[in-house]
Amino acid sequence: MLKSKTFLKKTRAGGVVKIVREHYLRDDIGCGAPACAACDGAHAGPALESQPRDQASSLCPWPHYLLPDTNVLLHQIISAWKPGTWASVASRLRPPGSLETYIEQEQGENANDRNDRAIRVAAKWYNEHLKKMSAENQLQVILITNDKKNKEKAVEEGIPAFTCEEYVKSLTANPELIDRLACLSEETNEIESGKIIFSEHLPLSKLQQGIKSGSYLQGTFRASRENYLEATVWIHGDKEEEKEILIQGLKHLNRAIHEDIVAVELLPKSQWVAPSSVVLHDEGENEDDVERDEERQLALKTAVSEKMLRPTGRVVGIIKRNWRPYCGMLSKSGIKESRRHLFTPADKRIPRIRIETRQASTLEGRRIIVAVDGWPRNSRYPNGHFVKNLGDVGEKETETEVLLLEHDVPHQPFSQAVLSFLPKMPWSITENDMKNREDLRHLCVCSVDPPGCTDIDDALHCRELSNGNLEVGVHIADVSHFIRPGNALDQESARRGTTVYLCEKRIDMVPELLSSNLCSLRSNVDRLAFSCIWEMNHNAEILKTRFTKSVINSKASLTYAEAQMRIDSAAMNDDITTSLRGLNKLAKILKKGRIEKGALTLSSPEVRFHMDSETHDPIDLQTKELRETNSMVEEFMLLANISVAKKIHEEFSEHALLRKHPAPPPSNYEILVKAAKSKNLEIKTDTAKSLADSLDQAECPDFPYLNTLLRILATRCMMQAVYFCSGMDNDFHHYGLASPIYTHFTSPIRRYADIIVHRLLAVAIGADSTYPELTDKHKLSDICKNLNFRHKMAQYAQRASVAFHTQLFFKSKGIVSEEAYILFVRKNAIVVLIPKYGLEGTVFFEEKDKPKPQLTYDDEIPSLRIEGTVFHVFDKVKVKITLDSSNLQHQKIRMALVEPQIPGINIPPEVSDMDLNGSGRKKRKLDK
Amino acid sequence: MASVALSEAEKVYIVHGVQEDLRVDGRGCEDYRCIEVETDVVSNTSGSARVKLGHTDILVGVKAEMGTPKLEKPSEGYLEFFVDCSANATPEFEGRGGDDLGTEIANTLYRIFNNKSSVDLSSLCISPREHCWVLCVDVLLLECGGNLFDAISIAVKAALFNTRIPRVRVLEDEEGAKDIELSDDPYDCIRLSVENVPCIVTLCKIGCRHVVDATLQEEACSLASLLVSVTSKGVVTCMRKVGKGSLDPESIFEMMESSKRVGKVLHMSLQSVLHKEESLGPKRPKVGFLG
Repeated sequence: MLKSKTFLKKTRAGGVVKIVREHYLRDDIGCGAPACAACDGAHAGPALESQPRDQASSLCPWPHYLLPDTNVLLHQIISAWKPGTWASVASRLRPPGSLETYIEQEQGENANDRNDRAIRVAAKWYNEHLKKMSAENQLQVILITNDKKNKEKAVEEGIPAFTCEEYVKSLTANPELIDRLACLSEETNEIESGKIIFSEHLPLSKLQQGIKSGSYLQGTFRASRENYLEATVWIHGDKEEEKEILIQGLKHLNRAIHEDIVAVELLPKSQWVAPSSVVLHDEGENEDDVERDEERQLALKTAVSEKMLRPTGRVVGIIKRNWRPYCGMLSKSGIKESRRHLFTPADKRIPRIRIETRQASTLEGRRIIVAVDGWPRNSRYPNGHFVKNLGDVGEKETETEVLLLEHDVPHQPFSQAVLSFLPKMPWSITENDMKNREDLRHLCVCSVDPPGCTDIDDALHCRELSNGNLEVGVHIADVSHFIRPGNALDQESARRGTTVYLCEKRIDMVPELLSSNLCSLRSNVDRLAFSCIWEMNHNAEILKTRFTKSVINSKASLTYAEAQMRIDSAAMNDDITTSLRGLNKLAKILKKGRIEKGALTLSSPEVRFHMDSETHDPIDLQTKELRETNSMVEEFMLLANISVAKKIHEEFSEHALLRKHPAPPPSNYEILVKAAKSKNLEIKTDTAKSLADSLDQAECPDFPYLNTLLRILATRCMMQAVYFCSGMDNDFHHYGLASPIYTHFTSPIRRYADIIVHRLLAVAIGADSTYPELTDKHKLSDICKNLNFRHKMAQYAQRASVAFHTQLFFKSKGIVSEEAYILFVRKNAIVVLIPKYGLEGTVFFEEKDKPKPQLTYDDEIPSLRIEGTVFHVFDKVKVKITLDSSNLQHQKIRMALVEPQIPGINIPPEVSDMDLNGSGRKKRKLDK
Repeated sequence: MASVALSEAEKVYIVHGVQEDLRVDGRGCEDYRCIEVETDVVSNTSGSARVKLGHTDILVGVKAEMGTPKLEKPSEGYLEFFVDCSANATPEFEGRGGDDLGTEIANTLYRIFNNKSSVDLSSLCISPREHCWVLCVDVLLLECGGNLFDAISIAVKAALFNTRIPRVRVLEDEEGAKDIELSDDPYDCIRLSVENVPCIVTLCKIGCRHVVDATLQEEACSLASLLVSVTSKGVVTCMRKVGKGSLDPESIFEMMESSKRVGKVLHMSLQSVLHKEESLGPKRPKVGFLG
């Protein structure tokens, strides 16, 4: 049936257009109840449960379905109600009714009223419909709405209706559900503390006007980690000046939360302030300590010179909230039996959240998730509700979950929709798959990976051609064959962006069937691949490059050690070994050539944990061993990436996905140059080549570890490599690899960028068809942005995981003393590296509540003199490592100086634990 | 203009009939043919109407657009007319054939409707000198069966009656920049008063008498006709002679008198039909173009 919907719209030019849309109402949507004869055969959609599970609600003891209104649904669905009718409705949202329940907006009725009426009509229709279905089975549909008027009207019309709170309270079987209700009843709060603390947020229309006219600025709100009364707003836009606006004081922050998009108003210059250097953490136990906050605010305003003043502003309104569920812990209220408690998020930039719960005692000491519901003007803290209990603090699973959540790593199991796009098992290669594909099963291909690797995405081969040249092939899993553009599987992998490797866990980017089976180039099975095949002469000069989709059959999956053994043992002369030897020989030449061009060999202390096979606790640490074969595989991967980058850029100069590594600004190297100078070594940093050369020459016979230390330092000077779209940038250079162009092609199982590159390359060689998004440089640029973000987050999560496992390791080890080298010298501390564990930490020389030792810092050398002892970079010291668990939420490794001995600084072992009360110092910098 | 070819004998027959107050289709000299009116026939206009008068078939759509007031009338909105002589109506209109007629009709409509006394133009003003509503009246001739002007004027009046202009508010910020806010309730709109909107009564001089609502055949027998626009109160607002013949002052006076008489009745019945249609509400079954 045809209905037309008419509405008016304002155009950008200021005109008004009347838009008429034709609506065709469906008449084939059934009620969804499985036993319904009337709707039999109607459109098969999500179904209701045949017999709604008894929820033992005291308000309606008979079986019933729930029909939540939109607001209830949106606000309460995160409450993740389990088990019950609600969940079944929520997970299978269905359009209520169809032809019978369609209503048109009436005169004098606004859109909301119309929607309310529509839902009432739907509820009524359902009730009548279900009555018809079975007279004896008293099934009812209950309308859940928090709208008072709507509820009244519904009751008038004879529809059973309750507010969400009423209903949940009546669920006698699940009393804890009430905690998870989003608290939206603002009236109750108003009674409690009538005092209004914050000024009102301006409505969006006003804000937009203000932004247009320039009186307000729009930006992203970034709270300070160190000071809860301070934040900066990053202004969106191209204007260089006033990029960052300082916001200081509770009232000016005006309820903005980290990451919100806000509108700010600049204060007059007379009120500008300087960023404070004070570390302030919100520790108030009482909720009404606004006055105290004000006092603290005054303390911020220390006398400063004119020069340090920054543009200062205040938040006038919120353009977009960016709330997410936050991890953290409950700070139980001091008042007994109180149901209101404060929740302290793990992220220090998030303010504390007030929640209401009856299970405070069970939640104490647990990691929980809390969602923010709102922040009324009269409340010191935002209101929220309890969502989920993650588990005990310090538990491995809990902490892993926390670090995944806090780094925004999508780690839920893949949804049904995503899995539905997987190939059906048993899978085999069909005729159709062979189109545009070369059969390379006869080649002697093998893969070389670290032990225990299940997602093998690359394999190699090398053979001598009849003309005496060598043919080298890199075969990459053809993931883009399985992941077709635009479907749910593609969208999910694009969202995840990368596989995240934690210490004992892998968060896959693609479902396991692909990552560990169909796409994994395992030995002795036919696998689809994307091959890059070169013809080279014996000097590793490329004569011909060819790309093709292929089918391969790997002859062996080797580990680095196994491959190395084959190459080394003279007795073995089979095909695989000869192939490996050929590859190894070429790789050495390639590497030499690359280094001559100025590629950097950097170093970072990489550590692997030996896990206890049963408890999965780390029992030992081991630094990664590097074999020739590692660099052999790496060399060919680099070569493939570069060849592919050239090819796709040639073909799609505007929308090739590439990876660049910008050269760092010279100032970044200062610390490295100074540090080397203190050891009488010269590091040249003008070009990558001279840096590489001077690093190679920087050897000290009596200090063999120095070179590694220098390389570690050099790593710290580097910029982040990023993905970008060739049409949006003109600097393609990859500094670290000394290559004019680079991309990622070789790991499509674990990186989404590679999938896009595969698609581009497939289109370039005519093996696959293109699609509109692929050639849209803005879309591609958006993808790059997400990928860069995900890669960064994955790295942080990995480091956090290593940090956590280090803590576990030292927890079991107790107090240890180890040799360490000084990496950096700071004003009041030294940063040291312990080579044995690859662990980095800071030794502070100023302790709270203790007399300050005499410190003299020299920026030029750099060195730090403490009570007569001078510390230089690269000095060898001995430190004691302990685990500081005084702050349960932020456990950290503490280091204290053992050697050289300085009176008043070295801590005798028995006192140490007493002194470690968390003084709010910066997190240990393992993750630089 | 669309015309039919008549033989001399046919003409004499018509002229003699009129002399006796007896017309070919049985009407008297001051009788209209049956008029069909339906409003709200084009959903994406602000107001629309379709009028069938004998074989004459007219569709009028009114679109309210945002514009700036004319310099000389800063606090008034205005109307714009466009007449499309579709080649459906008669093959003569093919190509640019209908342009002259279209311009002529449009000019007449400007003179009759685009003034304060006919339409409350000040209610179309949103903010003086800056924003006003412009009502674009598009007239489409679907079929020509004589007496175009009367049919068009009836259709325009019905369409203006049907016109709903969205209510807007002018927001002003501190700097004086104005922004227009649109009400999100589609029923929240203003309507025009059509009380004073005139209709055209065309009187055709045939022989020594005149007839209203002439058919194509009758028009072929007439040398001169008078367009008189009359309001519902019987006030003549405009007059125009068309045709190559001449009219003596005596008969002009007679014609004006009969136009007032006929006009009043015409307005009354149109008004009642429009109100009746509206009382049926939005759920009334629409006839449209398929009925």
